[in-house]
Amino acid sequence: MTRNTPHELLEKGLITQDLFEKIEVITSGRVVSVFYELRTLLYLGVMLFTTGAGLLIYQNIGELGHLISIILLSITMIVCFWYVIKYGIDYSNENVTSPTPYFDYVLLAGTLLFVSIQGYLQFQYSTFDEHLGWSTLITAAFFFYLAYRYDHLGILSLAITALASFWSICVSPQKWYSNDFFSDSNLHITAIVFSIIVGGVTFFLERKEIKKHFAFTYYNFCMLIFFVGSVAGLFIDEPVYLIYAALIFVGCYFAWYQASLRKSFLFLLYAFVAGYVATTYLLAETLFEFEPSLWFLYSIASCGGFIYFIIKSKNLLKKR
Amino acid sequence: MKSAYNLLWVYNLAVIKEAKRWAKHSFITEDQRSFIDEAYKVPFYHPNIIIRLLLFVAALVAISGVTGLLTLMVLQVGQTGIAILCILYGIASLVALEKIFIVKNHYKSGVTEAILYHSCGFIIGGVAGLVDFDNAQLILLACLLVFTFAAIRYLDLITTALATASLAAIVFYNCFEAGGILKQIIPFVFIGIFTAIYFITKRLQQRMELNVWHYNLLIVETICLLLVYLSGNYLVVRELSVNLMDLSLEEGADIPFAYLFYFFTIIIPLSFLYFGVNRRDIVLLRVSLLVLAFSVFTFKYYYSLGHTEITLTVSGIILVGIAILLMRYLKVIRAGFTCENLMASKWGAMNVEALLISQTMGGNQPGNINTDTGGGGDSGGGGASTSF
Repeated sequence: MTRNTPHELLEKGLITQDLFEKIEVITSGRVVSVFYELRTLLYLGVMLFTTGAGLLIYQNIGELGHLISIILLSITMIVCFWYVIKYGIDYSNENVTSPTPYFDYVLLAGTLLFVSIQGYLQFQYSTFDEHLGWSTLITAAFFFYLAYRYDHLGILSLAITALASFWSICVSPQKWYSNDFFSDSNLHITAIVFSIIVGGVTFFLERKEIKKHFAFTYYNFCMLIFFVGSVAGLFIDEPVYLIYAALIFVGCYFAWYQASLRKSFLFLLYAFVAGYVATTYLLAETLFEFEPSLWFLYSIASCGGFIYFIIKSKNLLKKR
Repeated sequence: MKSAYNLLWVYNLAVIKEAKRWAKHSFITEDQRSFIDEAYKVPFYHPNIIIRLLLFVAALVAISGVTGLLTLMVLQVGQTGIAILCILYGIASLVALEKIFIVKNHYKSGVTEAILYHSCGFIIGGVAGLVDFDNAQLILLACLLVFTFAAIRYLDLITTALATASLAAIVFYNCFEAGGILKQIIPFVFIGIFTAIYFITKRLQQRMELNVWHYNLLIVETICLLLVYLSGNYLVVRELSVNLMDLSLEEGADIPFAYLFYFFTIIIPLSFLYFGVNRRDIVLLRVSLLVLAFSVFTFKYYYSLGHTEITLTVSGIILVGIAILLMRYLKVIRAGFTCENLMASKWGAMNVEALLISQTMGGNQPGNINTDTGGGGDSGGGGASTSF
């Protein structure tokens, strides 16, 4: 790309005179945009201000201050939802374009405030200590409603996260707030079951053509949770590692299928990484037990294989 | 020196990337874009940044495996032998890079960078090993040569920055070792040398045949500006004097030429800003904003009033105020500046020439626009003086 490129394109007839004039002023530097510079300045200013103000408030806050800030947050949240209800358009099974440019952001702000208020109440007054499971479930249900009603992918992610945490809270017998996670709670099995159920529901919903564009987000969560759960299982439940390895390979096939369906490199990568871990584990348990020196060759060869895989990944996606 | 890549393809790739950007902001239709793609065909393998990163890491791991295997074979040859082998191995991997990957049309694919940095590291490490790690002059020189070679031949940006830094290190080291008066005037030597390099770079950027190195030159330009500023900055000069030259400052005492450096700390960012605005030079402008912030920090560091939170809040308010004022002010094009995102669809829909004329000729007389003037563009620059 040089200064002469637009002219060259014009002469070859690849762009119109009109477009040439628009682009020429930019490439020749006659007009310079300071869009990003000013944005950076603005963000920096906002960041400095909020940090400073936050420090000031933190230093001068009393017991009453907490109450006031919770009330202020609640009012802001209510205003956000009021805006959403006022301008929202009717439900549809299809992709809905947002009615105003700010709509999605206001909705997201409202939901995030909802979570913040909940967290604030919990950490300041320990309101939900006894009923944490239920409050998470209600949050999840509320978010799912919002996500479907107003067609918002970001809130869908929040909802799935909330649902997943409800499950993990229910099955882990410890008091979650005393930081006793992961000891002996078989969370990985929960994760696998959860992801399979959600995956199944997604499959069904997509068949029924209800919010088809949500499927990617759902599957993304499912695969992540599934692979993390089963890889964890591989290492935790050593005696039955073959079951987990089989699960991973089935998951890999599914991920590959979805990847080629959606032309998604991400899913392919999940499948590859999980499959790689499982294969390595299998080899370590069997072949390398007898011939440890193979490790060295294997690591080099598999790195080469990984590079080859990435370079050729386009073909893998195209084949179907 | 020639680049290892086919220059025509590098150029074509840049055009295609630009066309992609235009298409994204609906300057051109997808049809037009595919015509451009067709006319500027490129066989390069140049994936997106995430895949490049993945490839980079994977390639590094794979290479270190290969290196490990080779190391096992040559462990017994003694230090000099290993150093020479390192240099040879580095050169060999550069050859491998060209003969295996670049001929297969890898262009900055992540794998190429991994091999390039790896061989740079081995050559420099080998040279350092040969002189037993204590001839700094020679090692720095090796850095400069190797990085410059990598930057020019493989159009690599990180090695460009490293090469410039090595040059700065060589200048510093020599002045420092020479002692006496040279040691005292290091800041001025730096300002002199890097100002000169800045203007040379600017000159080189005008030459069409050097256009493939456009981004490399841009990096050299930026680093030169930063170095010029830093070598005049009071904080840098003071701390370096205290730490490196064993200058002991008593309470209330100050470094030599203190007022000169105070003056530099203020005047260099402001002059960057002035020339950046005046010449519509975005690099100068960005650097000036960055160093202006550092100047403020410099003064706050020595003359602080305490109360960080109040400082933060107030400076935040001031910054937001300035940003909002400028955004309002630059809603229209003034002196060739605009706050609109030029690569946004809105801009694509406007008649730019008309807008340029109407804004720069002093305003809101849309009726008088003479849209069919071919030379209308000149008024864009001409308007600069009137709108201030």
